[in-house]
Amino acid sequence: MTTIPATSVAPARKRAGAGRRQWIGLIYVAPAVALVMVFFVIPLGMTAWMSLHNWPLMGEHSFVGLGNYWAILRDTRFWNALKFTGFYTLVVTIAIFAVAFPLAIFIERPRPLTNLYRTMFFMPAVVGFASASLLWSWLLNVDSGLFSPAAYDLGLIDRKFNLLATFQPAFWSIIAMVVWKVAGFTMIILMTGLQSIPQDLQEAAVIDGAGPFARFRAITLPLMRRTLALALILSVAGSILAFDQFYIILRGGPRNQTLTAVYWIFNQSFVSFKLGYGAALSMVLLVILVALSLVQLWLLRKPEGLD
Amino acid sequence: MRNLIAKLAMAAAVLGGGLGAAAAETANIWVRADGSNFMPRIVDAYNKAHKDQVKLDIIPNAEIIPKYGAAAAGGTAPDALSLDLIYTPSFAAAGQLEDITDWAKSLPYFASLSPAHVKTGTYKDHIYGLPFSADASVLIWNKKLFKQAGLDPEKGPANWAEIEADAEKVNALGGNIKGFYFSGNCGGCNIFTFTPLIWASGGDILSEDGMKATLDSPQLRGAIDLYRSMVKKDLVPAGAQTDTGANFFAAFAAGNIGISPSGAFAIGALNTQYPNVDYGVTFLPGKDGNWSSFAGGDNFVVTKGTKKLAVVKEFLDFAYSLEGQTILAKYGSLPVRGDIAKDALKDLDPRYQIAAEAMAKGKTPYSVVFNDLINSANGPWTQMINEVFFGDDVDGAIANAQETMQSIIDQAPQK
Repeated sequence: MTTIPATSVAPARKRAGAGRRQWIGLIYVAPAVALVMVFFVIPLGMTAWMSLHNWPLMGEHSFVGLGNYWAILRDTRFWNALKFTGFYTLVVTIAIFAVAFPLAIFIERPRPLTNLYRTMFFMPAVVGFASASLLWSWLLNVDSGLFSPAAYDLGLIDRKFNLLATFQPAFWSIIAMVVWKVAGFTMIILMTGLQSIPQDLQEAAVIDGAGPFARFRAITLPLMRRTLALALILSVAGSILAFDQFYIILRGGPRNQTLTAVYWIFNQSFVSFKLGYGAALSMVLLVILVALSLVQLWLLRKPEGLD
Repeated sequence: MRNLIAKLAMAAAVLGGGLGAAAAETANIWVRADGSNFMPRIVDAYNKAHKDQVKLDIIPNAEIIPKYGAAAAGGTAPDALSLDLIYTPSFAAAGQLEDITDWAKSLPYFASLSPAHVKTGTYKDHIYGLPFSADASVLIWNKKLFKQAGLDPEKGPANWAEIEADAEKVNALGGNIKGFYFSGNCGGCNIFTFTPLIWASGGDILSEDGMKATLDSPQLRGAIDLYRSMVKKDLVPAGAQTDTGANFFAAFAAGNIGISPSGAFAIGALNTQYPNVDYGVTFLPGKDGNWSSFAGGDNFVVTKGTKKLAVVKEFLDFAYSLEGQTILAKYGSLPVRGDIAKDALKDLDPRYQIAAEAMAKGKTPYSVVFNDLINSANGPWTQMINEVFFGDDVDGAIANAQETMQSIIDQAPQK
């Protein structure tokens, strides 16, 4: 008789304890959940809701169902902007890695002045994109800037060359500016990846007679998979959302050839005052971005059998 | 502590303009940064002389439209604002503005208010905006450089051929000195200073009601050829090609430019900030003489449903008085009341008279999609002017702009 209550009480108590722990757990995560709700989930929901409306900046809005999305299908300028954004992302990501990887290898090992180099290479990353764009906007100015007037004064060119007037020089100027600004950050990420590779693996490979290239391909790259994935996703996502540098330095020019997807969304929302259409474009861009990130994660997933 | 609270309460009562039963009201008014010179002074003068008060907020030029839209959506819009006049049709079309037709027509001086402003302030035969500040486009030339180049420093160019010939002579001085300047990648600057060349020659870029783009005209071609020829002869600094408006005024103010199309605002700005630049003001001419001007500036509009309508009307009436118009003229805007403009400008730089005359005959294009067509840095007008002044395919650029502008007009909401 006496054992029955005892056995029935104990699980009840356990359940109550587990319930309380769950409640405490919920309280612990509540601030984070609240932040995510307020600053991400609710705005996202509102954007989705607005995208189903004809929503002018001023005046009444009306429900149009999927009308905005049908309009996007026919919006050739948006698709052109997206095409340019893709091209820019490809070029700038390759350029960033081409600069950041050698830098990371260079500064990975302690040697004299390493800290100085690390700081120097990383410095541009702490400048905001808008401020960096304003700085380069001046550097690139043909009349009062640095590059063109300096080349002219040094006698390298006999007529001042306006770097921002035609597509190729303007585009590559932006690439140079972004690489200068972002490569330091990517370098730090890659450096931590390099440092996490156990030294004895490299030494074993050396003893086995592997050359530096073979070691890089067979040890460094595979063991940096996750670091590479992180750096790649950050770089690609950042580039697809590019706006500041094209807005501040080029104004989408020369002749609207450097309009990015986000720039187009901004124009539709705040120049043409079509907030609903801008919201629909944002949703489309979000889907594209999520899909691209998933593809990258899948490509860089951990292969079977590897730790 | 109690003392402090009492003081605060008193301060609040004073700030609120309270004084118990009198219950003076305070209306909130916005102005874009272009008006930051004259607007606070008019508001101060009004507040000193009236029981009801006006509280002024100055908003950056590029922010005022989205900010007002957001405020209106959130129910915190100001009672009235001084708005770039070209936006009045689109604001009225959005149903955002109070219909002030009856009050406007009851003003004894209604007929002498700037006609260009009243025209853009009218939407479907109702008046939603009245003139507040005014700026007319004019041509300015550097007298010192004219003298150095052997030209008559007191005589500005009066037709296109003279513009080019004078610019060439000044340019021949060499060094840093260039003959002509314009902001070659700025739609707003060029609608203000380039289209008057076309108007003065008898052409136009939009039909009267703003429903047809009319870019394919010999007058537009002629004006383009004038600019192209000056670019080709190297009379224009290389930076003009990519200037989105930042140098619109600064280039001439530096003193190295012979001739530049500009606005009445430049008179005040040059006199106060660059007193050493000796310059003349004349009209923007047509191909063979004649002249025209873009009548720009701000319209005063009232937010629909405001409870402070009486204060707003009293304030506007004060701004239209001789005192208000004189303050306006003294601090950088042209008067907007034709009948007392001469009196308001009496003691000021005589060059203002030319600008005032230009204003009186000035013209403003009318469109509910002006921003999309003209001002947007990525709109068809901005793209076209850059292509036709500096590119190779003039005909293609004009045809492309004509088509894009027409399609934007056709897609605009028709309410």
